[in-house]
Amino acid sequence: MYRYIIRRILLMIPTLVGVAILVFVLMRLLPGDIVEMRLASEGAYVSEETLDKERARLGLDKPIWQQFVNWMWGICRLDLGESMWTGQPITYEIGIRFQVSLQVAVMSTIIAVILAIPLGMIAALKQDTWVDYAIRIFSIAGLATPSFWLGIMIILAFLIFFTWAPPMVFTPIWVDPVANLSQLIWPALATGYRYSAVATRMTRSTVLEVLREDYIRTARAKGLWEKLILVRHALKNAMLPVITVIGLEFAFLIGGLVVTEQVFNLNGIGKLFVDAVGNKDYTLVQGLVLMVAFVFTITNLVVDILYAWLDPRIRYQ
Amino acid sequence: MIQNIRSSGIGIVLGLIITLMFAPQGIAAEKPVYGGHFPYIVSASNFPSMDAHREVTFAVVQPLAPFYSLLIKVNPENPSDPTDFVGDLAESWSANKDETVWTFKLRKNVKFHDGSLMTSKDVKASFDKVIFPPEGVISSWKGYFPMVEAVEAPDDFTVVFKLKFGTKAFIPAVATPYLWIYKADILAKDMHWYEKNVMGTGAFKFKDHVAGSHVEGVKNPDYFIKGRPYLDSFRAIFINKQAPQVAAIRGGRALINFRAFPPKTRDDLVKALGDKITVQESPWNCVLIVTPNHKVKPFDDPRVRRALSLALDRWEASKTLSKIAIAKPVGGCVFPHHPLGLTDEELQQNIAGYSLDIEASRKEARRLLKEAGVPEGFKIKFHNRGVEQPYKVLGIWVIDQWRKIGLDVEHWVQPTAQFYATLRAKKQAYAVSMDFNCRGVVNPLLDITKFLSDDIVGNQYAEYQDRVLDELHGKIMKEIDPVKLKKLLFQFEKRVLDEEAHQLITLWWNRIVPHHSRLKGWKISPSHYLNQDLVDVWLAKE
Repeated sequence: MYRYIIRRILLMIPTLVGVAILVFVLMRLLPGDIVEMRLASEGAYVSEETLDKERARLGLDKPIWQQFVNWMWGICRLDLGESMWTGQPITYEIGIRFQVSLQVAVMSTIIAVILAIPLGMIAALKQDTWVDYAIRIFSIAGLATPSFWLGIMIILAFLIFFTWAPPMVFTPIWVDPVANLSQLIWPALATGYRYSAVATRMTRSTVLEVLREDYIRTARAKGLWEKLILVRHALKNAMLPVITVIGLEFAFLIGGLVVTEQVFNLNGIGKLFVDAVGNKDYTLVQGLVLMVAFVFTITNLVVDILYAWLDPRIRYQ
Repeated sequence: MIQNIRSSGIGIVLGLIITLMFAPQGIAAEKPVYGGHFPYIVSASNFPSMDAHREVTFAVVQPLAPFYSLLIKVNPENPSDPTDFVGDLAESWSANKDETVWTFKLRKNVKFHDGSLMTSKDVKASFDKVIFPPEGVISSWKGYFPMVEAVEAPDDFTVVFKLKFGTKAFIPAVATPYLWIYKADILAKDMHWYEKNVMGTGAFKFKDHVAGSHVEGVKNPDYFIKGRPYLDSFRAIFINKQAPQVAAIRGGRALINFRAFPPKTRDDLVKALGDKITVQESPWNCVLIVTPNHKVKPFDDPRVRRALSLALDRWEASKTLSKIAIAKPVGGCVFPHHPLGLTDEELQQNIAGYSLDIEASRKEARRLLKEAGVPEGFKIKFHNRGVEQPYKVLGIWVIDQWRKIGLDVEHWVQPTAQFYATLRAKKQAYAVSMDFNCRGVVNPLLDITKFLSDDIVGNQYAEYQDRVLDELHGKIMKEIDPVKLKKLLFQFEKRVLDEEAHQLITLWWNRIVPHHSRLKGWKISPSHYLNQDLVDVWLAKE
């Protein structure tokens, strides 16, 4: 098991290198110049000499291959460099936003799991009844509804009926839990609903499949309680694909909630991404993409380990 | 009769009582109230650095100006007057006869937030950093001071600017809202310190900054104006999208967005909040300029450029577009209705494209196009920035107007970064483009540098060189007689907009700022960079 984990961690390296090369090249293919954006926008006149000096300071006057080597050398030393826009370390810029995105991701996941697993199971048990149809409508509506639109509706509803808006500034939960939750519960609900829709449908399908297995029939024949059969036998076996879905969705939520973060004015990774791309902040975009790639690969690894924990057969393999 | 007197006496007394009941309330309603926390919106994601000498974005000024002072500033009581300046750190100022030596007397009771006394050394060091930046230091405002020869500090509370020539551009330049006074001792140790740190003399002290989220400040109890500021604290919240901005104001999470809202949003807020919302509007020192590329045929022909201008019905657009866009005032190169600029009548009578008879103008436009050999249905790709307000709105209007003179126009819209790249490429990357000129303090002599030859200024993208204009501007910069100056500016505008039609002014912007009625003491100015120090702002009780 440990050898498997170590092998998977080592396999992450070529994945991340590939991602690094791709994002480096793509950013430089797009037209635009961060120095012009920063110093020559808003109609100001700054001399070409000044712009060239700033480009030199940022290392943009060096050959592309040299810029890449310098950056990769920094990565090897776990130094993502500095934002070309703010001059702050990339780790600092990401760190501030990461806690917001992480909390939204965790809350959305909790909401999704709380909704998806019970609803998916009930839908499977009550297949083709009105309960099943109601749950399927609920989950299809979740799939069809963009989470940012739902977020807008939530905000509008509060404004129109209560003249109230969620807080616009993030407060850590350990500082003021009420302020924290009153800001983040709404984006978590909006994204969690969509997230739960995917997981509900997956849970329903897998539970239906498992309920038709021989060992379930045997368990029933042995006279076990239905609840025991469902929880101990059916659910555990049905969870494997559901965990994959939940894991991938969680990874996506870190950095993927671009529009939802804009709607709720969350100072998260998604918003940082958009700003960094708009500002042509090469180093920050590269750092963000690497971070997201890392999160995805780690999440996949965690999911695989969970697989092994849930299914002893995989463990022994 | 005695009864009548008694009745009338009782009536008088009653009247007095009623008057006394209401009069104090009427008077007290506008008396500033101390205390309160002021949350407001900065319509941006973050600022690049905290050094206003280096940056040009309003995202620096709006959250950080409360921590700093200027030498002089636009009068906060009268910010709509572009010629009214008052001292901030300066108590008074004067010039010699030919305005080549300006002497500023400083206040003596000003302290930095660390308790140290502000002296002329600090003012000199700050202006030296801007005007004569050392190697490795970027000053985005150096170009505003071509006239300054030296800055001196003969004593602790006197600063002297020696100019190479007297010019009316100097005082407005000094009032530029980015010219915060920094501490000389800090600059001596590290010229880059202010990029990541705050130390000023402003009405508020720095408390907190979370990148991408907010900036917070608290009242400076040692502020040099006694009785100011009124507020206890403020929080500048970064919200760069309009929907959450509106939600924040409607929900009371912020009291104002200092930049602006479009007309529809103003109307929605008024409808939603009624008298809880107050709206202030002002002409804005920003303008969209149609820029024909002089190196691309047929736009090298002034007849074609003139025709493009003649086609635009600016007066009608001012009435109609102002209902959907942040664009309204009609003007020339100089800020509308500035004492040095062209009046409406002068524009209508002297400048192509400003006549009230649009049909005659368009007839002339078609004639000019024909004379220049431009066929009916000639295709133009009009380059524009992918921002709704007011770029795309005005872009669509321009296209519509040009179609009325038989041109076939395609709208080529690019996102901001690519837009700038195309504009600045100077490789005839576009034929006709929208450009803009957005400034802080209204300073006509410097604002019109936009139209000089492109080998003199770096932000003229029409790729032309006009030595007549350059020479004229040189005279304008050195003319201190207002009457002669106005005549020279008239000649300048006539050449830019009429004789050569180098660039075409569309409409100047209109700044619309709806805010909670609780917010008092802030008056709108022609620029979203101005009047941001919050010194006079107070909050009425809810």
